[in-house]
Amino acid sequence: MPRFFSRGFFIVKKTTGRKLNHRKQGFRGALALALQLTLLTAAQAWAQGATPQPAQKTDVPIPAVQEVTDETGRQVKIPQAVRRIVSLAPSLTETIYALGAQDRLVGVTDYCDYPPEAQLKPKIGGPINPNLEQLVALKPDLVLVTKSLNRRETVEALERLGIATYATDPRTVEGMLASTARLAELIGAREQGKTLVAGLRARLAELKRLLATHPARRVLFVVWHEPLISIGRDTFLAAALRLAGAESVADTTQDWPRLALEEVVRLQPDYLVFASSHADESERNFEALRSRPGWRSLEAVRQRRLVVISDAVNRPSPRLVAAIEELARQLHPEAFDAKPETRDEKNETRQPKKATAAKRWGSRPCGR
Amino acid sequence: MRPLTVHRLLWKCSILAVVLLAVMLLALKLGAVPISVTDVLLDLGRVVLGQRGQLSTEYRLIVFELRLPRILLGIMVGAALSVAGAGFQALLRNPLADPYVLGVSSGAALGAILSLIASPHVPLATPLAAFAGAGLTIAAVYFLGRREGQLDSGTLLLAGIIAASFLSAVIMFLMTTLAGRDSRGMAFWLMGDLSTPLPPGMRWIFVVGLLAATAAIYSTAADLNLLLTGEREAMHLGVHITRVKLVVYIAASGLTGLAVSVSGAIGYVGLLVPHLMRLLFGTDYRLLIPTSALGGAITIVLADTLARTVVAPTELPVGAMTAMAGAPVFIYLLRRRLR
Repeated sequence: MPRFFSRGFFIVKKTTGRKLNHRKQGFRGALALALQLTLLTAAQAWAQGATPQPAQKTDVPIPAVQEVTDETGRQVKIPQAVRRIVSLAPSLTETIYALGAQDRLVGVTDYCDYPPEAQLKPKIGGPINPNLEQLVALKPDLVLVTKSLNRRETVEALERLGIATYATDPRTVEGMLASTARLAELIGAREQGKTLVAGLRARLAELKRLLATHPARRVLFVVWHEPLISIGRDTFLAAALRLAGAESVADTTQDWPRLALEEVVRLQPDYLVFASSHADESERNFEALRSRPGWRSLEAVRQRRLVVISDAVNRPSPRLVAAIEELARQLHPEAFDAKPETRDEKNETRQPKKATAAKRWGSRPCGR
Repeated sequence: MRPLTVHRLLWKCSILAVVLLAVMLLALKLGAVPISVTDVLLDLGRVVLGQRGQLSTEYRLIVFELRLPRILLGIMVGAALSVAGAGFQALLRNPLADPYVLGVSSGAALGAILSLIASPHVPLATPLAAFAGAGLTIAAVYFLGRREGQLDSGTLLLAGIIAASFLSAVIMFLMTTLAGRDSRGMAFWLMGDLSTPLPPGMRWIFVVGLLAATAAIYSTAADLNLLLTGEREAMHLGVHITRVKLVVYIAASGLTGLAVSVSGAIGYVGLLVPHLMRLLFGTDYRLLIPTSALGGAITIVLADTLARTVVAPTELPVGAMTAMAGAPVFIYLLRRRLR
């Protein structure tokens, strides 16, 4: 007998036992039984979580499945015909729209604000804390995630629920293009993907040609100004800057380094680059910075060498190319002054007529 | 102190169990996707009778794979934190002791984060590291909190607060330098979060650990009552003080480690629930521990239901809900006691 029972842990009054009549005991027994049953079913339901339930699958015709390796190296089984897609990242939502597959997009995150009509899609919460219940209720046959934004735990949870999840991991502009092409193939939009990516590549090549003779500008990319957060060398933003004829003064392996202002004063960047969907807000921030100690000893601040570009540059999606072009135009206006008309014409002729979605996206300079 | 009878214990616990059941039903019903409890019960009945269930697959997934597991996880986390809080309050003879206030949660979180950085795919590493972190922290706080061989309540709290802020700083350091790309998820987890379903292997570890540690603390309940009168007095009454303290110390650290490793640092539950139960049912530890377990379960399930529904489909961290609701209630209790 456990020690605490033998040592008078409880004072068991004999009367309490005797006082109970049979009716009461019966009620109590029933209550105890009901409680036990509830707990038992709950425990069973819980334990079942570990095992898949193949019984339900039989009444649905088994769709053809393709097995692919996603960009994080996971083996994923995805239906041949993807009909219902949920995107867990703004960049992926943009990519789906750019591929013209928005009709099959049945769920997006709270932060998917581009194109504006994406905000009308059913929401599943934030990318880091998606509401799994809402996600399941949307009956997706493919959930798209991206390694830099979503959590591994989310992917594991979706895996356990038997929902196909494909993860992208673009780390450069080239990676974004390759990722877009793969995604297009995955959802059965190979042709649209080819056209879209070819158009983007052509624009990047044209940009490279135009900027070839112009030395790179040394810029400080301001992710956040208080505290000052910039970008590391391994981010796709740094890669995007390089393509726009710019070079980040912050050179670190950390992805989002917090820079000391004195370090920036020492580095003296040529330009400050802000990414924002509200240009006037960035202008106001910049005006506020001009009067601050430290900031006002920056040559770029004194000379008002400020570039505000679309926040599309923050997202590894096809719109990134437009943001790169925009940045290049502002940093190297002389390179574009020569003959801006011919470039647009060339762009038009290069695009096949049938890919309307890709054309709309490809030729839009920046969606602000 | 009124003598405790089995009858009285069962009666009080069954009241709380009924409340818990009601809260569970409420939690099952409310959420981003509306669920009809009658439909679920009818379908369960059909399955029990050997018929085919008629719920759609999505419905079934939401109820049995997401919502119910989350409710059960909330029950266990709440019970673990409350029992740990009650244990620490007795062990340190300090009414303000709580895994969160004493820095034990931060220690467990640091252990968990270290294990996630070192070996992200070993399943048992996280709870064990969290347990080690919790144990080391409470040991450090205990020794820092002594003055001239006596446990001083003020010094102890200060030691806990210092330990908590030091450990939080180390966590911040690790998250900005080492963890790299996974740090956003960790930051969310640190705030206290039940949204990530527990991997199947962890479920049984959690259940067994919770039951064993609670039973261990419960077996010392009679001694803890005597300990409340003072260490010397308890010793004269035949309490084996070192043994009792060791049992409570290991078990409460274990409970904190378990809770933190699955749900991050959820504050105030371990502090508030035992106090509330004391106000309702008295200070007898033999009654306080089971009622705290049930009360903690009720609190977390309620808080998590709120966290899920206030701005649905977006979820709030449950830790934010408990702190928001817990701090004012605590101040109210404190003022009422002072009057």
